[in-house]
Amino acid sequence: MKLFELNERPAKFHEALVTLSELAENTEARAVLLDIADDATALKPYLNRLELVVLRFPIFRDGRVFTQARELREYLRFSGEIRAEGHVLPDQAAFLKRCGVDNVVLPEGSDVELWEKQLHRFPVAYQRSVLPFRPVEGGLRIEEDS
Amino acid sequence: MNAPVGHYQYDQSDREFLAARIDEFSGQVTRRIDGSLSEDEFKPLRLMNGLYLQLHAYMLRVAIPYGTIDSQQMRMFAHIARRYDRDYGHFTTRQNIQFNWIKLEETPDILRDLAKVDMHAIQTSGNCIRNVTSDEFAGAAADEVVDPRVHAEILRQWSTLHPEFTFLPRKFKIAISGSPNDRVAARFHDIGILARSGADGRPVFRIFVGGGLGRTPIIGQEIFDAVPEERLLATLEAIVRVYNAHGRRDNIYKARIKILVQALGIDAYREAVEAELQQMDLEHYRLTPEMVDAIRARFAVPELSAPDNASQELSARRETNPEFDLWVRSNTHPHRDAGHIIAVVSLKPAGGIPGDATSAQMDRLADLADEYSFGELRITHLQNIVLGHVRQDRLYDLWQALKEVDLASANIGLIGDIVACPGLDYCALANARSIPIAQKLGARFGDATLQAEIGALRINISGCINACGHHHAGHIGLLGVDKRGEEFFQITLGGRAENGASIGTILGPALPEDDTVDAIARLVDCYLGIRQRGETFLDTLDRLGDVPFKEAAYETV
Amino acid sequence: MKRPVRVGAGEKLVLTANRLLDGRIVWRDHDGHWAARVGAAEKLDADAVSDVLEEAQARAQQDGVVGVYEVAVRDVDPPEPVTVRERIRAHGPTVHPEFSVEAGQ
Repeated sequence: MKLFELNERPAKFHEALVTLSELAENTEARAVLLDIADDATALKPYLNRLELVVLRFPIFRDGRVFTQARELREYLRFSGEIRAEGHVLPDQAAFLKRCGVDNVVLPEGSDVELWEKQLHRFPVAYQRSVLPFRPVEGGLRIEEDS
Repeated sequence: MNAPVGHYQYDQSDREFLAARIDEFSGQVTRRIDGSLSEDEFKPLRLMNGLYLQLHAYMLRVAIPYGTIDSQQMRMFAHIARRYDRDYGHFTTRQNIQFNWIKLEETPDILRDLAKVDMHAIQTSGNCIRNVTSDEFAGAAADEVVDPRVHAEILRQWSTLHPEFTFLPRKFKIAISGSPNDRVAARFHDIGILARSGADGRPVFRIFVGGGLGRTPIIGQEIFDAVPEERLLATLEAIVRVYNAHGRRDNIYKARIKILVQALGIDAYREAVEAELQQMDLEHYRLTPEMVDAIRARFAVPELSAPDNASQELSARRETNPEFDLWVRSNTHPHRDAGHIIAVVSLKPAGGIPGDATSAQMDRLADLADEYSFGELRITHLQNIVLGHVRQDRLYDLWQALKEVDLASANIGLIGDIVACPGLDYCALANARSIPIAQKLGARFGDATLQAEIGALRINISGCINACGHHHAGHIGLLGVDKRGEEFFQITLGGRAENGASIGTILGPALPEDDTVDAIARLVDCYLGIRQRGETFLDTLDRLGDVPFKEAAYETV
Repeated sequence: MKRPVRVGAGEKLVLTANRLLDGRIVWRDHDGHWAARVGAAEKLDADAVSDVLEEAQARAQQDGVVGVYEVAVRDVDPPEPVTVRERIRAHGPTVHPEFSVEAGQ
């Protein structure tokens, strides 16, 4: 498994991932694999012990991952690690980062340079995200820490 | 040159963003050609940048945010048409322009040319928030209460490469109007917004969700009556977030927000949105008056001044020239300034292709905009062009100039003002051709006096169930269907997009093209025979129902 | 998206696609090359088509074409597609005769 880090947070490896439904019984579990259909806010009771949430793209077009990540960060104030895996494209790097994902399991044959390039492609954004930001000359535009 | 009026002015930072987007797309094209992106992966990426693969070639759809462009931008369209296409473009019902004969390998060059005049193709297709449409008379109409373009621009910016909402279950269309007379078909959009003045002088917004045409036409329902300006973005985030999380992704035909709103019910949808809003940090999403004013400051405003006798001069011209008078009646709209008027240039010449314009016509329109309307042009959702601020005493000269280039058809809002999608002549999805039948109908009813006699009557033609020609909303709607590889047309009556929106009902069995044209001719004759004084086609239809029309339409078939 | 193709009496099948670089319509000829005119298309019997189609689809990227599929044609020379849609693809948009395939555009 090869990880691409979207930010400074060092990725940590976990032996076992459990599902949302297993999380209640398995009180030792620190890492969960959220199903694409799961509501991220269902993780609320387990936030204290969770270190890693893995979000899985069944196909890169399935944008629910972005909402799941954002809800974890914005609604649950989850400060642990969020990882994306599955069918994901480098063209989605900045979107993932801006929604609060820390790192991505690179699909086989990925071009790391392209991932790097996509991460820093845009000098400004036109809407706030979960990242710290500075406004640019009024209006909606911002620069984000990257 | 003075700053163009009517649309947001880019600065260096906006231009850098756009250049970065073009570099990104250019790289995606390279990866597609070398095979590192499959067609299945490339398709959503190219669509997000307005590039389709149609029947004969690639098609590029260029965004015209809230339908407003300046003369330089129009000239760039003419250049694109000449240099990269076959010397024409097609203006669409979503106020954009399409070029039909594009090469994949040339698209990065086209995008760089467009960027020279601050234009792009971002989010003109794909399962994301599409180019925002607005009232074609915005900032000019006498009946307007709030100029919606500043907020349309705010929505354009907010939705541009939105990190969370770029891979939605399906496409997402937003329209915004600031007039009590709905000219944007607000209730036929995924989100329709009607702005009005609030007590504190800031606008408030009435919001509809879940409207749309297409396979399942549904009229949007009101989700909120009065959203304050500072809550506008938070509210939209919440509405789209509920959709992104819960909209269907298993069936493309059930993936629009309208299906989700129908499934949950509007009250449950509203509750879900309110639950999101309760969890959101509203301060983080607040649209402050300072932010709005900073964007407003980038819009130049036309300095309107007309001689005191401007109206009298116009009246005098109308009295002496009946042909001009006929054009003024159908092709103008009252302006908020007494000495000015709004002129609509018809792109529906009798027998022509609705919405098409040649590069020469585009260049000429750009010149006329410079000469008569502060260099500003608007594209209407009925595929025509508006010059928004014409001095009344100069309208006659404008009309003369339009006549010289065959752009003076007097048919706006009349039966010749036909809306048609590109249909099977171009479109990979279509079942039937829309343009030939539009041309036949346009020619049949081409006479300006006859059109004036028939009065307000809209024909909308779609080449397939996806309804890009908005046939459900046409007073007379035509839907092309495929019967064993041949083209047939289903007729619907009574649709309307304005206030009191409704969906047309099917009149009877589908007919071949020529029979359809004849059936519509008989149907119109029937209306002329049974209408009461002062009745429009819709009035008569509402009074009598469709039985007499059905009898007329199918009488000899 | 695969639509079922009905092959009636006196009909054959041909393979078509769009060129990747410029999107233009092409037809697969006898040698497996992609030609601009439907007249060059190799006519196939219904039972032979699936193998040829599979191979053409597998080679699409290296041949520089997109969206390979089969089309029913009347078995005449040159072959004439059965449906309006495919006739328009073969000959060009009916509303612009000057852009017809035969006009060489």
